[in-house]
Amino acid sequence: MTANSGRLKVVLPILATVAIVAPLAWLWQASRVPSMYSVMDMGYLDYGVGAGAGTSGGGHGGHMQGSMPDHDSVSQRLVTDMVADPARPTDVRVDLVTRQQMLTVGGRSIAGFSVNGASPGPEIRARQGQLIEVHLRNESVADGVALHWHGLDVPNAMDGVAGVTQDAVPLGSEFTYRFVADQAGTYWYHSHQVSNPQVAGGLLGSLVVTPRSGIAQPVEVSAIAHTYSGLRTINGKTEDLRVPAQPGQRVRVRVTNTDNGPMKIWSGGSYRLLAVDGTEVHRPTEVSGRSVTLTAGARADLEVTVPDGGPAVRVQLSKATAVVVGALGGDAPVPPQPAAELDLLNYGSPAPLGFDPVHPTRRFEYRIGRRPGFVKGRPGVWWSINGRLFPQVPMYVVREGDVVAMHIANHSGEVHPMHLHGHHVVVLARNGVAATGSPWWVDSLNVLAGETYDIAFVANNPGIWMDHCHNLKHAAQGMVAHLMYEGFDTPYRIAGTADNQPE
Amino acid sequence: MRTAYKALAYLVAAEVAVQAMVMVWAIAGLGKWVDGGGVFDKSVIESQATPFPEVAGIIVHGINGTFVVPGIALVLLIVSFFTKVRGAIKWAVLVFVLVVAQGQIGFLGHEFPLAGALHGLNALALFGVALYAARRLRAATAVRVEQPEARTATPV
Repeated sequence: MTANSGRLKVVLPILATVAIVAPLAWLWQASRVPSMYSVMDMGYLDYGVGAGAGTSGGGHGGHMQGSMPDHDSVSQRLVTDMVADPARPTDVRVDLVTRQQMLTVGGRSIAGFSVNGASPGPEIRARQGQLIEVHLRNESVADGVALHWHGLDVPNAMDGVAGVTQDAVPLGSEFTYRFVADQAGTYWYHSHQVSNPQVAGGLLGSLVVTPRSGIAQPVEVSAIAHTYSGLRTINGKTEDLRVPAQPGQRVRVRVTNTDNGPMKIWSGGSYRLLAVDGTEVHRPTEVSGRSVTLTAGARADLEVTVPDGGPAVRVQLSKATAVVVGALGGDAPVPPQPAAELDLLNYGSPAPLGFDPVHPTRRFEYRIGRRPGFVKGRPGVWWSINGRLFPQVPMYVVREGDVVAMHIANHSGEVHPMHLHGHHVVVLARNGVAATGSPWWVDSLNVLAGETYDIAFVANNPGIWMDHCHNLKHAAQGMVAHLMYEGFDTPYRIAGTADNQPE
Repeated sequence: MRTAYKALAYLVAAEVAVQAMVMVWAIAGLGKWVDGGGVFDKSVIESQATPFPEVAGIIVHGINGTFVVPGIALVLLIVSFFTKVRGAIKWAVLVFVLVVAQGQIGFLGHEFPLAGALHGLNALALFGVALYAARRLRAATAVRVEQPEARTATPV
C-alpha cells in the first residue's frame, strides 16, 4: 500500500508533466512546414456552399472540406499557361532594374531598395487597352524579386507572386511581364518576394491606366504614401507635395497607401471621391468635413478644386503629410482631422453590377481570429483563418464563371486590409447592413476588428490567386489563403531551390 | 524543486512589475513625441521603425506578455507537480490561469479598450497571487526544515 502510494507520488507528477508537454510537442511538430512545398499542398480544399459547390470535387452538395488530392492526377492547366496574347504587339515597354541600396529619405540614409535607382520607382503609365511589357532585371536584391501589379487583374502567370506564379528573379537575372491594361485607374506595383521587408524598404512604384476617353480634370498627380523606417513620405519625400494649379481648376489626386495599416485622407475644402481601388465611383457627390479611410494597398482618387479666393487647398494624407494644390508657393492652414468618416456603403448612386450577386453559385467564409499556438514551429498568438493556423489554411476552390459570395468576419481584435489577387470584389453589406450607394468595388478591403463584410465577385480570371492580409507583417505571420480554379496547378514551389518566400 | 518554484513565482511577480513599468515608460515617451509634433498612427506602428526610443516599451511588453510570462507560468506549473508541498499545485494553477486570462484580456483590449482596464486590474491580482505562492512555499520550506530537527531530538 505504502509502496504503491510512493510509486504513485513519483509517477503522477511525471504523467501530469507529459500531459502538458506532449500536446505542445505535437502541436509544434504539426506546425512545421517542409523545406519545399507547393501551395497546392497547403491546408484543405474548401468548395464552399451552393449550386457550384455541388458539382465540384466529386459531386457532393453542401460544404466540403478535405485534404488535397494528388493534384498531378486532376490538373489540366498550369498557371504558366495564363498569359497575354503572345502575338499581340507591345504598346508600352518599360525597363525596370531593382537594386538593394541605401536611400536618402528626409536627409537620413536608410537601407532599402530601389527601382531604376529611386524609391518609389518610375511611374508606369498606359492608356486603357494598351499592352504593357515590363522587362525586370534584378541587379542587386540578394533575396530575389518578383513584381506584383497590385489591383490590376492580370493573367495569372503575370501576377508576380514568388512560389505561386513564378520563381523569384535571382541576382543578375531577368523576367518579362506582359499584360493588357484593361482597367483604367490608379494601381501600383511592388515586390511579392520577401514582400514584408522589400515593400517596407521601398521596392514599389505607381501604375496609372488612363481611360480611353481621358479624364475630366486638367491637372492630375500621383501621391504614393510610404513610411521609410518611420519617416512619412509622399513620392519618397518627407515634405509636402506641391502641385501647381490655377484658381478654379479641378485636380485629380491619385493617392496610394503602400504602408501596412489604414490611413485617413481629408481636405481643407470639399472634395469628390472619384475612384476607389481604380474603379470609378458612380455619381460621386461633394464631401466636406469627412475623411476617407484608405486601407493598406488601397487607392483613392480625389478631386479637389483650387479655391478662387485662396492660394491653395490641402489634401492631408494622415496628419503627417499633405498634397498642396494651388498657386506655386501658396499654402493653406492644416485642416483639423474630421471626426466623421465618409461611408462608402452609401456614397454615390447605385448602378448595375453586371452580375447577380443575390444568387451566388458558391458561398465561402473567411473568418479571421487570433489564438495561441505554433506557426512554422514558433510559439505565439497567431492569426487564424476559419479557426485554423497556417499552414492549415483554406484553399478556396471555384470554377470559371462562378458567382462567388464570401462572408468575411474579423474577430481577431485588429484591423486587416484584405487583398484578393486577380479579381475585384464588390461590397454587398457591412455588419449585415446592405450597400446602397455606388457599387463599391475593391481589391483591398479595410476590415476593422468586430466587423463583418459580405462581398461578391465573378470567377473570371482562371489560375491560383493569393487571398491575404495586406498588412505584410501579418501575411508573413501566416495570414495567407489562396483561391484556385478547378483543374489548375503550379509548377513553382515555396522555398526550394529558388528560395521563393512570397511574404 | 522548491527553490525553483519559489524563484519562478517571484519571477512572475517581477515580470508583472516590469510589464507595468515598460508600458508607462512607453506612454510617457509617446506623449513627449506627440507633444513635439510627431504623428503616431497605424502606418508608423506597422513600419518596424522606432520613432521614439520609448516605443521599445511596447515591444518589450508584447514579447514578455506573449512568450516569456506564459513560459515561466508553464514551467512553474510543471515544477509544482514535483514540490510535494500542500497547495503548491493549486497556487501554480491559479498563477497559470491568471496569466492566460491576462493575455486574453490584453488582446481583447485591442477591440474593446475597456478590457484594458481589466488587464490592469488582473495584473494586480496576478502580482499578488504569484507573490503569495512564492512566500507560502518559503514558509512551508521553513517548517519542513524544522521538522527533521524535531525528529532527531526524539529519543530512540
